[in-house]
Amino acid sequence: MNSPFLPWYVAGPLIGLMVPTLLILREKQFGLSSSYRALLSRIFKKIPYFNYDYKLDNFQVQLIIGIFLSGLTAHFILPNESPENLSDYGKIASTIYTVKNALFFLLSGILVGFGARYANGCTAGHCIMGVSQMSRASIISTICFFIGGLISSYLLIPIFF
Amino acid sequence: MKIILTIIIGYLFGWILIGTEAFSWYRIQEMFHFQSFHMYGVLSSAIATGVLSLFLIKKFKIKSLDGNSIVLKPKPIQLKSNIIGGLIFGLGWGLSGACSAPVFILAGKEWQVGGVLLLGSLIGVMIYGIFESKLSR
Repeated sequence: MNSPFLPWYVAGPLIGLMVPTLLILREKQFGLSSSYRALLSRIFKKIPYFNYDYKLDNFQVQLIIGIFLSGLTAHFILPNESPENLSDYGKIASTIYTVKNALFFLLSGILVGFGARYANGCTAGHCIMGVSQMSRASIISTICFFIGGLISSYLLIPIFF
Repeated sequence: MKIILTIIIGYLFGWILIGTEAFSWYRIQEMFHFQSFHMYGVLSSAIATGVLSLFLIKKFKIKSLDGNSIVLKPKPIQLKSNIIGGLIFGLGWGLSGACSAPVFILAGKEWQVGGVLLLGSLIGVMIYGIFESKLSR
């Protein structure tokens, strides 16, 4: 694949700076997957899990609003990506992001959402914030994220495509 | 003011992920196939920066903007949910190529499938919420 326009040694440290920025600005630990809970808690108050003080996680909702807007901007100013070499990932025509893969994305999205809440964190909260604190729960979770990802990438993707 | 700042931080964070293609299904597949150092470089330098920042915050007792001391609460160890939840999240990450932030990037950038992906993850959290009390931790 071509190199992205932000190399890892620029992007990685900038991503890591989310940790002190949110602590200093909001006194909050970096995380994103509680935003789903906070969003749903506005609708499903009858379910105990969603009946909580969602204001605690409002900063995550504000973050994902910004993240969504960045994606929307990119939609209008960046060309659609068409990677050069796809041979290693099965017979995926020009892009994975086509409507005919909608069901695939729906099902994998369910796993992402369910798993992130069950594991009590996602890549942001566990892999970056938690591992930065050397939290054992986060290190265990991050290892499991990778094992799950390897299973999908090597065993499941070839079944779907 | 803080709310607007947080949204702007999210916006910039999104652009970092877009700029380095961390939201891309292809980058994630490339990572899991060990074909490039790129994503490993992104993640490890992000963690290194996080470690260094926390060290400096502790060492110089840096306070929040509101003047409070910064207290860290590590997530509790819940072996069963860390492992099972982690594996399920990992399966979803490997399939969709997206974790939480990329889900929202794709919901904007590739809204036709990204919207479906976002809907899926909300359904997943909904299912978790319904069964939360029955799942052991």
